Amino acid sequence: MTVPTDLADTVEAHGKAVAAGDNRAVLGDFLPDRIGQLIASADVPVKLKAAAVRTITDVGDDRYDAVIRYTKPDAEWFELRSRWVRFDDGTWRVFSVRNIPDTPPWMDLTGPSPDGLDAPHWDGLRAGELLIQRCAGCGEWVWSPRPICPRCHSFDMHWEIVEPKGTIYSWTRTWQPFTKESTGHLPYIVVLVALPGAGGRRVLGVLADADGVTPTIGATVRGEIQQPPDTEHWPLVRWHLEGQPK
Amino acid sequence: MNGFRGATAVVGVGTTDYYKRGTSPLTSAQLVLQAILRACDDAGADPRAVDGFVSYGGDSSEGLAIGTALGVNEIRWSTEVWGGGGGGVAAAVNVAAAAVYSGQATCVAVYRGLSEGTDGRRAFAKGHLGHLYSAHGLLAPAQVCALRTQRMLEVDHVPASALEAVALAGYHHAQTNPRAVAYGSPLDHERYHGSRLISEPLRLFDCSRENDGAAAILVVSADRAGDYRGTPAFILAGVQGAAAGWSESTENEEHYSSAGFHPALTQRLWDGARISPSDVGVAQVYENFTGPAVAAMIDHGLCPAGPAAGEFMTVDNLTVGGGTLPINTAGGNIAEGFVHGIGLVVESVRQIRGGTPNPVTGADISLLIGGPMAPLVSSTVFGSPATV
Repeated sequence: MTVPTDLADTVEAHGKAVAAGDNRAVLGDFLPDRIGQLIASADVPVKLKAAAVRTITDVGDDRYDAVIRYTKPDAEWFELRSRWVRFDDGTWRVFSVRNIPDTPPWMDLTGPSPDGLDAPHWDGLRAGELLIQRCAGCGEWVWSPRPICPRCHSFDMHWEIVEPKGTIYSWTRTWQPFTKESTGHLPYIVVLVALPGAGGRRVLGVLADADGVTPTIGATVRGEIQQPPDTEHWPLVRWHLEGQPK
Repeated sequence: MNGFRGATAVVGVGTTDYYKRGTSPLTSAQLVLQAILRACDDAGADPRAVDGFVSYGGDSSEGLAIGTALGVNEIRWSTEVWGGGGGGVAAAVNVAAAAVYSGQATCVAVYRGLSEGTDGRRAFAKGHLGHLYSAHGLLAPAQVCALRTQRMLEVDHVPASALEAVALAGYHHAQTNPRAVAYGSPLDHERYHGSRLISEPLRLFDCSRENDGAAAILVVSADRAGDYRGTPAFILAGVQGAAAGWSESTENEEHYSSAGFHPALTQRLWDGARISPSDVGVAQVYENFTGPAVAAMIDHGLCPAGPAAGEFMTVDNLTVGGGTLPINTAGGNIAEGFVHGIGLVVESVRQIRGGTPNPVTGADISLLIGGPMAPLVSSTVFGSPATV
């Protein structure tokens, strides 16, 4: 497997341009139809000391993945993986880019909703449990939470611990930076998980360790409660594939 | 059968330009007022005689404020459709027709205006997605519709080519519509597939635009349609709502990969209009995203479900000049411009009334399908004078 010489040179120069903060040169390496998406995909500190191309890999279809390690002034480092394609004008351009390893985003719009209906769910996560609403009158599982039971109209709604295990009902891999918090985590996969322990009710969550993974509807997933990075955020269930090889 | 069929008609349409989002020189209210004044001009109606105002999707221009700014003689009806975003667009038409049919108002303007300068970015999507979505990185309608579309493709086996056909059909029609944002920017298979992914399986060209602009129509009693200029588009039937287990369920909707137009609802639509799906000559299918538009056509029985959808959903079959069911004949939300789908209402009427860039010959039945996969969905059937 050989890497085109002009690609190796372009990637080398690109790494140096990123490290030097030469934005004009960096943007010139991007595919022009997705500059905004690419800028907001990778989390890159303002000041960098050095760049080193680690690998360039042929991923087929005339595309190549380059891993570049960037060193911060304090000698800490991080890596970006960019995918390169040949553009109409013959130059190599960045098709997509991401921070590696992949980590799930922490969104600012989190925690109990303004109406408070879902507050026990969030409190449950802090206590290390997945809680889903259930009617004490007829046993109906209710999600998302409601003020009364839609089935029997009981006002006696309570919350039960549910095993965070289920199957993927659907999924989407998001590439577009819809908010600043997603920068550094794109692309990420959100799965809709059907919970057999809650009458098949479905919950949303990020699929962890999903870099390069294309999930399959029906695959088994197991949830783990991940603690937030700070006190502003709430714990979240992150899902892990069990029934599907990488 | 009911007396609602053909009892009301649209006698005027008005639009502003489609501006790139954030560039409108007018405020939202001014855009709405310009659209209503142009609709009145189209109808030959006195703007002061407009006595009803209906919008949807959280329009920042309340009916009372708009009526007052127009200096109308009297405001008799002012209503906004609750929830569902663009799912309420046809419902707004239906509400106006109900008001006129019941004698609550005589001339109702249905309108929608958006200006990023007034309303902020993605105003049409505000408040849709609560914390049980956003905490997990789901912030945009595109992502929710992507989840539902993915299941339609992967489980129902609707081919992805059906999505592409919706996008290409809209772009095709926009090339003969100088008002369209995508005028002069044709889309082919290669450009579509080369476009960036937004949220899989949706690409850039599967997504509607965001524009500043406004449009309005005037609904009056059919008895009085002759008092106005031009050919009236009669309102034959309208439906709206949500099935049991559909709405506001944080992705727990039943019939999850449908667009939400449940069988009882579509049957009411056809029964009310006294037609069957095969009578539809032209359709404006709300494409917030292409996947939901395909699901909406399947729900309405316009297109077969499952793998067979791919045979029906082709650019040739969906475009004017040979297609059995031309859709989005001015370009739609994807290629003409997006002001929460109100442009589709105007184009539905123009297919009957005249003024469309791509007239469908002999189309007496013009269908409007509102925002699919929304918590509220709605449809309206318009008919030519020959149908009443």
